[in-house]
Amino acid sequence: MEAPLYRGGLEDVARLYTLLRDERGLVVYGYRLDGGSIGFGVVRGASELPLRVEAEAGPGRYRLRSGVSFTTSHQSPKNYLHPPRQVVARVREDLSVEEPGAGEGGVALFAVKPCDLSAVKVLDELFRAGANPLYAARRGRVKFVVVEECLRPGATCFCSTTGSGPTAREGFDVAYAKLGGGTVLFKPGSPAGQGVLEEMGLEEAPESDVAEYRRLAEEASRRACLGVAVEEVQRALRRLMGDRGFWERVSERCLACSSCNMVCPTCFCTELVDEYDGRVNTRVAQWVGCLSYTYGMVAGGHFRRWLYTRYRHFVLHKFLFYPVQTGRLGCVGCGRCVTWCPAGVDLRETLLRAVGEGGG
Amino acid sequence: MRSPFAELRRGLVVGEVYEAPNVKTLAVRLVDEVPPPRPGQFNMVYVHGLGEVPLSVSGVREGGRVVEHTVRAAGAVTRALVYREWRGGLIGLRGPYGRGWPLEEAEGHDLLVVAGGMGFAPLRPVLKWVAERRERYGRVNVLVGARTPRDLLFKYELESYRGLPGTRLLLSVDRPEGAWGGHVGLVTDLIRLADVDPGGSYAFVCGPEPMMVNAVKALRERGFREDRVFLSLERRMRCGTGFCGTCQLGHYFTCRDGPVFRLTEVSDYLAVEGV
Repeated sequence: MEAPLYRGGLEDVARLYTLLRDERGLVVYGYRLDGGSIGFGVVRGASELPLRVEAEAGPGRYRLRSGVSFTTSHQSPKNYLHPPRQVVARVREDLSVEEPGAGEGGVALFAVKPCDLSAVKVLDELFRAGANPLYAARRGRVKFVVVEECLRPGATCFCSTTGSGPTAREGFDVAYAKLGGGTVLFKPGSPAGQGVLEEMGLEEAPESDVAEYRRLAEEASRRACLGVAVEEVQRALRRLMGDRGFWERVSERCLACSSCNMVCPTCFCTELVDEYDGRVNTRVAQWVGCLSYTYGMVAGGHFRRWLYTRYRHFVLHKFLFYPVQTGRLGCVGCGRCVTWCPAGVDLRETLLRAVGEGGG
Repeated sequence: MRSPFAELRRGLVVGEVYEAPNVKTLAVRLVDEVPPPRPGQFNMVYVHGLGEVPLSVSGVREGGRVVEHTVRAAGAVTRALVYREWRGGLIGLRGPYGRGWPLEEAEGHDLLVVAGGMGFAPLRPVLKWVAERRERYGRVNVLVGARTPRDLLFKYELESYRGLPGTRLLLSVDRPEGAWGGHVGLVTDLIRLADVDPGGSYAFVCGPEPMMVNAVKALRERGFREDRVFLSLERRMRCGTGFCGTCQLGHYFTCRDGPVFRLTEVSDYLAVEGV
């Protein structure tokens, strides 16, 4: 039997936040209003929660305005779990090493999106296999996960095609969905989540709200859809792997800026930067995007000199290589790479063209 | 659990040999205990203040207490390794990392070693390994190529390989100089001269990637089995354990899944530029 849904309002989302922070003593990481945009980081007060905004998104376009619910930000839980820049070692002149800690205290991931949740699972698998203790330490601090489902997917979302949204089925403690009119439905995903909802004293949702939730979820699922199956895309990409002309055509407008890599919730590639003060060498792990020119460059040559090879790696990695490396699709259909591409290069268009030219 | 970046071991440089004006072999005595590397594995080699580079282990002495790295000056770290005086100095080592040559699997078979340029470095431990267990292998042919005679690595010991029983050594250079008695041309042209049983032989190949692609072509033509051809590949490596991501080759992390690959694992990718 399915767990019951509970009914509340926006103020209950804020109460949930406060409960996790004050009663459970967790450091709450989530989306927060930051000037005119939404970022991901420690939410310091309920007033920072982006409860009444929505985003107008399109290829190369993102504007916030007041509304019911936003879909994505240029940041994601990756910004906490695998930060853009982290000191990994301080090496002294005698080559002894000081290793910084991963911080202390339990963490709650708050109001992350279903696509974010899938992205975290991808990173979990990837870094389990690669044995990344830096990630493991940060991940181990996460004690509670709250998901905000997307009943109003954004214009660049295609999570129902990638099987990562717009609702969440597992891997969280509490999920909630905004029905509109200030009504919020909460669902528990774990005994801990059930306990929290009971503690909040929420009433069970009436049948009419549950029916409305299901109707909106189905509609959202239809909207966040690419129109082709992932398997078709994968077959086409396999066929087109060596077709230089195709990859040059679909990457024609790409500026090699690697914005797509920076906003992608599963991109993980890291460069080591040495910052030397004359005595101590601080080694910093810093994101590097496969679209940037230096990706694949070594002192004696370049393994991905041509832009098309780097754009191709971005696409093939998400759809063909992550599944081998992690057992999961590397793309979670969040549309961030489309929204934040300054040239409006549209991954969805690449995938559809692939099926058009390499399918059958 | 510590991060691999914190697993830096101190190494005291106890020997330096210039192989060529821009290539040096460093012998490093490990101050800290470290598992001995297997032939084909690599270390991340750290120079204080500059950074790290992945370098194949080109030799192991004293049961792994001393390791050798042969390095050509190319970037900041490698230039420092080659052009600075290192004897008595400290460098850092992390590793050994990666999958080496399948020397146990190749036992009982002929062995063809094909080395181009700096690609000889990770194959030299193979020759030492075989020399110590000569009876476990069939005929051994070693093909070594370099740009000029001066660029040949390990000149001072090449004759000792020729002296091993049942072993042939063929040398080739692109541009001969002085009284050169070896071949002139691509090292891969020597594959047709190899005196091994192609159907039953293992081939270990390392060199610049275009040379390896040529070698694969020549080995196929001679009837070598693709599952017995092994290549050591190079990519941009930073962590050594498969999570920094920058050494990816298709779905492989070269540092962890390689650097030595069976041809059947990578032949599809080798056919695609920059995959």
